[in-house]
Amino acid sequence: MNLVLLLSPILIPTVGALVLMMLDAFQKEDGGLAMPTALLHFTAAAMALALWQRGVPSDTSALHGFLAIDKTSLFLDATIALGGGIASLLAGGYLAEHKLDRGEYYPLIAFSTAGAMLLVSASDMLMLFLGLETMSLGVYAMTGFRRGSPRSAEASLKYFLLGSFAAALMLFGSALLYAVTGHTDYAGIAEVLHAAPANAAADAAAAIQVVTRSRISILAMLLIVIAMAFKVGAVPFHMWTPDAYEGAPTSTMAYMSSVVKAAAFGAFARVMLAVYGDAASAGSAAGWPAMLAWVAVATMTVGNLVALTQTSVKRMLAYSSIAHAGYVLLGVIAAPREGTGTTAYASVLFYLLAYTVSNMGAVGALILAGRRGAESVSYDDLAGYARRHPAAGFAMTLFLLSLTGVPPTVGFFAKFYVIRATLDAGYTALALIAVVNSAVSAYYYLGVLVKMYMRDPAPGAALASPMRSGYVTVAILTAAVFVVWMGVMPERWLDLAREAVGAATAAAPSAATAGGNAAP
Amino acid sequence: MNDASQLSLTQSYGPIFMIVAFSLFIAVTMFTLASLLGPKNPTPEKAIPYECGSESTGAAHVKQSVKFYLTAILFVVFDIEAIFLYPWAVLFQRLGVTGLVEMLVFLTVLTAALVYCWKKGALEWQT
Repeated sequence: MNLVLLLSPILIPTVGALVLMMLDAFQKEDGGLAMPTALLHFTAAAMALALWQRGVPSDTSALHGFLAIDKTSLFLDATIALGGGIASLLAGGYLAEHKLDRGEYYPLIAFSTAGAMLLVSASDMLMLFLGLETMSLGVYAMTGFRRGSPRSAEASLKYFLLGSFAAALMLFGSALLYAVTGHTDYAGIAEVLHAAPANAAADAAAAIQVVTRSRISILAMLLIVIAMAFKVGAVPFHMWTPDAYEGAPTSTMAYMSSVVKAAAFGAFARVMLAVYGDAASAGSAAGWPAMLAWVAVATMTVGNLVALTQTSVKRMLAYSSIAHAGYVLLGVIAAPREGTGTTAYASVLFYLLAYTVSNMGAVGALILAGRRGAESVSYDDLAGYARRHPAAGFAMTLFLLSLTGVPPTVGFFAKFYVIRATLDAGYTALALIAVVNSAVSAYYYLGVLVKMYMRDPAPGAALASPMRSGYVTVAILTAAVFVVWMGVMPERWLDLAREAVGAATAAAPSAATAGGNAAP
Repeated sequence: MNDASQLSLTQSYGPIFMIVAFSLFIAVTMFTLASLLGPKNPTPEKAIPYECGSESTGAAHVKQSVKFYLTAILFVVFDIEAIFLYPWAVLFQRLGVTGLVEMLVFLTVLTAALVYCWKKGALEWQT
């Protein structure tokens, strides 16, 4: 019973997906599954919150070390479930409007959500891989859901091939770690890696083994970082992102860019901190924050500069999601630092939730602006849109301002906390680059607003007008509530995130004791 | 212990490398000899592609119906089910009720998938 309770946030979407499959198979005509799917996701989020409130059961032996159900994973579970719920609602509106409404989509979303939750809860390399694949397989299928469109097929194939490649790299890294440590669980791997220097003095053969282990663990670290960089779309492993996002149905793009990214980052931060987090004994592999710093600079800069040149809003949002991956990386880089690290880790969780709601909202507003046969994808399509339809235009404005990072919205605080954590960790140059990048990004986000409020559509061009869908409206309202609520009370939400990681660091093995005196 | 494990590693993988080297050697030698010594007298008849001794018809790249993939995937799924069931049956006594429940969960999920495929028409060959 304890096991069922612990796993309930993951079990709800899993069992729900099976039920949805049956509903889909036995119903007479397609459609109508969006609301059950959304409710399923929101129930899972509520269950995660209930577990949080009740206190996570301390006896997690039933999990055999495969999963870590703690406040960190519950926070991320709730983020993922919230994002998945909003995405299901968006799908309900979008797929129906564009005559794509076939029932398979909804079980796929639920399965992917279950996979994403496994991914963020994983405390074992095998579970990490299993979660990654369960999440990704559903998303590959959802990407290619527009079956008649070659672009959608191309996007799906590209995403599938590169995603499988990344998964293979991840598996290779895990195999190497298993080869040198004999463990697949994070704690066990970390323990062996940490124990290495103590034995080194014993004899020459042991010393050689320690060196080999250290070198192989660096290689494994690189492979895992590359695989995760693929999944979060960090430069230079971002090539698939714009094509996959643009070709995918827009509701899938919302899911991919928010939920998948949040899950991948959650798992990334956990595996890096648990296995390589201890600077004293991880050997040269402890240099990963410095290496990731270059990745973060490249990700932010390339993402923003290329986003500047886009004419399609959908593609711009794809590049902006690359840029945002760069900002989140800042928090991950600062997280292993002794003392200020916990706040940095908390800022990552805060950012993931903030980005999920802001991005879901922005994509939702874009979906709202497109009717059947006239999907608004380019800047020009949106000319004068906000003047003709003030409410829909305002929704788009709110979310784009949040993505830009303008104060009353949550986006500002997300960036602020991450950059503050970077400064606290002593990466001044990195923080500076982030601020400059953030300023650059304002150009292309505000460009949409300029088009919507100040430009007239070209003569004869099709006028964008919002579609009517209760689903999309509810989705946008939900996202808007979080964007404003978190923007008005950011400290409260940051405290929640801090509580989430506080529990995690207390449970993490020996990271605090072994590395305590070696912190710079 | 470390030296021993190093040694046994070389010992156990050594023969594999020898086989790889030996087969490479044989293959390369045979091809080289054939191309050096063999008589070459190409005629148009010899140059045309053929299949099973007769002339080939149609393009080399044929579109396969997606049904083949569906059937193959279903086959793999139930193959894996069998692979899981055998060790479970062997250890049935030791696994006890937990094992039974776990296997029932697994089979339920699999049955759900089968029912889904059936209702969706994946088992119909002619549609």
